[in-house]
Amino acid sequence: MNAADRAAPDRRARADGTPGRVVGAVRRAIRRASTVSLILYTLALGAGIGLATADYATRGGYPFGGVTVGAWTAWPRTGSVGADPYARAVNARRSEIPLAVGEGMLLTAAQDDAGQGLDAACTYAIAGITPPARAWTVTIAGRGPRDPAHPSLREGFTSTEILREPDGRFVITLSPEVQPGNWLPMPRASGPVRLALRLYDTPVAASAGTLDRAALPAITRTGCAA
Amino acid sequence: MTPRGRFLLATTTSLVLAGLVHIGVVLLIPRLAEADSLSRARVGETLDHAMPVYTLATGDTASPPEAWLPIPDPAVAVGICAYDLADGPMRVSARTGPLMLSLAVHGRRGAFYAVTDQAAVRGGLDLVVLTRAQYDEALANADENDVTRDVRIVAPDAKGYVVVRVIAALPSQRPAANAAVQAVSCTVDLPVEDKAGG
Repeated sequence: MNAADRAAPDRRARADGTPGRVVGAVRRAIRRASTVSLILYTLALGAGIGLATADYATRGGYPFGGVTVGAWTAWPRTGSVGADPYARAVNARRSEIPLAVGEGMLLTAAQDDAGQGLDAACTYAIAGITPPARAWTVTIAGRGPRDPAHPSLREGFTSTEILREPDGRFVITLSPEVQPGNWLPMPRASGPVRLALRLYDTPVAASAGTLDRAALPAITRTGCAA
Repeated sequence: MTPRGRFLLATTTSLVLAGLVHIGVVLLIPRLAEADSLSRARVGETLDHAMPVYTLATGDTASPPEAWLPIPDPAVAVGICAYDLADGPMRVSARTGPLMLSLAVHGRRGAFYAVTDQAAVRGGLDLVVLTRAQYDEALANADENDVTRDVRIVAPDAKGYVVVRVIAALPSQRPAANAAVQAVSCTVDLPVEDKAGG
């Protein structure tokens, strides 16, 4: 560090006041700091960053361990003994009871096939087939708690109640407006939404890595209210 | 060492410390959590049937607020049986019906066993969760001519819970799914000596 650099903050301090004065005060503090205060600084910064990052990593969804297949992310191991420590911490914090490997598998989608986030103001077609399973459900949820003043007519479909095409494929229309066929209303007026596909009693859970894009329903945006 | 060098050393040390704290906290969260499913399951430990965790909404009755799953499946009724193997082996008995039912055994580290009603023998699914010592004892005391239809599972920890899930494929099946979860019995298995006498 040369003299010009060192002089720069002082010049700035004179030029624009407060930010420069803060930088100057920090520099003086560093120069005068005793060993004790440096140790305290080290402990405080270490504990602060460590706690903050641990909180961030275990808040909300699982940070990793998902298998991305098209727009969907499969979570085959979050409930098993082989779950990573982050998934276990997330489960503990959310008091979640994850699906075990022999029980089923959870897949989530927060984006459509084009990579755009699912928006409650838009209309989407969820079309195709699902991997083999004895039963499955598709559900929609917004972030945060549900609005009690705006009860949802329907939160999801099960494999039994869905209307299918003659070839066994299905199309679910996810829209804020009433639609013919399998209409899944948006759970809220605006903001991001997430889809969850739960496969029950499926052989896929043991081999999620080999899932093909075509084996999962495609999510296509068909229009937006804007 | 220059003051600046000392400060940089302190900052670097704190980053290393932050990494250690981060790893330690993440590993400790499941153990220290007070609102995780294992701790919440303890509440229903004295019950002899599955404690409903998520009851399906039927008709105009909304799902009761005791549900604590963050994003539950609205078509699946969930019940829980907490076990403490220090009291003895845990027997979970379920009668299979028209609805799909699954049992999953969770320990401290996650689910280590799951079985669905397809494994049922003559309409019944009997799961016995025991420790290694209790398993050896059960094997030693077993009568060779006696055919048991229990599924015996050795648990890695003494404490855990069994999750019952019943899927209501149609809204009209929801009351039956709620009833099927309640109908699962979870009892502490009596020691073999007592059984032989009675």
